[in-house]
Amino acid sequence: MPSSARPFTGASELAGLAPVAQDASQLPPALPGFESFQRFWDRDNGCWMVKILPGEYYVSRSEEAISTVLGSCISACVRDPTRGIGGMNHFMLPQDATQGPNDWLDPAIGLATRYGSYAMENLINDLLKLGAVRERLEIKLFGGGRILAAMTDVGGRNIEFIRNYMTLEGYRVAAEDLGGTQPRKVVYFPASGRARLRKLRPVENRIISHHEQLYLDSLGKQAAGGEVELFD
Amino acid sequence: MARILAVDDSAAMRQMVGITLTGAGHDVQQAADGAEALEIAERQKFDLVITDVNMPKMDGITLVRELRNRASYRYVPLLVLTTEATLERKQQGKAAGATGWLVKPFNPERLLATIAKVLG
Repeated sequence: MPSSARPFTGASELAGLAPVAQDASQLPPALPGFESFQRFWDRDNGCWMVKILPGEYYVSRSEEAISTVLGSCISACVRDPTRGIGGMNHFMLPQDATQGPNDWLDPAIGLATRYGSYAMENLINDLLKLGAVRERLEIKLFGGGRILAAMTDVGGRNIEFIRNYMTLEGYRVAAEDLGGTQPRKVVYFPASGRARLRKLRPVENRIISHHEQLYLDSLGKQAAGGEVELFD
Repeated sequence: MARILAVDDSAAMRQMVGITLTGAGHDVQQAADGAEALEIAERQKFDLVITDVNMPKMDGITLVRELRNRASYRYVPLLVLTTEATLERKQQGKAAGATGWLVKPFNPERLLATIAKVLG
């Protein structure tokens, strides 16, 4: 194929690299604990990419992208620029009010806050274990849309949680795009800290909302708390 | 009522554990890492220590080991409250001398029940 007829393949071409087909042998190594994530070559961005679903998070120290689609859920994109490691989570707050005597929406200690803090800590702990320094963390926040005209503003509650959490933990928000009525697709590059955001058409709301509901349903038991083991 | 030292580098977690324990009538002191906790524990005697694992300066497993090496904490219940759920980490905790291991997400009722149990 003559070079002039080559399809444009994104960043690799811009960088003057040959747009050769990428095979799995060129995959950057996955960090321990993240080997099960499927990665694919993304032609638009000219890099390897991993898609995360509601409830998941992914951490990387390689030149790859993490992508997700958000309705009312929140994604935090967190990295240590000095260490060159970063990651993204995708979570929402459980809504089952029957789990425990505390008011589940109590901003200090309710089930919702407990689970949200857990989702944030999972991602941040993994970064700290890889040598990231808490004071250096650069955090970008996305999501929390009000994508369905439901009685309760689930997205708004998720936003309220993450703002409280950031303040309480003393983290600064490096960038954010929260709220609104449209779903979002976020592509995050942990190596550079760049985040690409695309607003999706509301026609996709029902599908996204359906996936978020499935996640919520599976959340109930998990959010209530982990196991307890007493040693002999 | 027990005197409890709660150790976590996350302010959100410290707040949740603090509210839970004070709400149940316990007297709570907090520390943001293992080193700070050790310093406080050496000045004051506690009936129980509950600690996170991954923290700057000194991690929770090291804190448990250090406390167990001190005569005044040899028999004090030391609980671990962490996102770490692997058998390997639990065994490290047990070997260090931890009394019990609670996996996050944090559950207030379960924590209180566990504390009541280990304090006998």
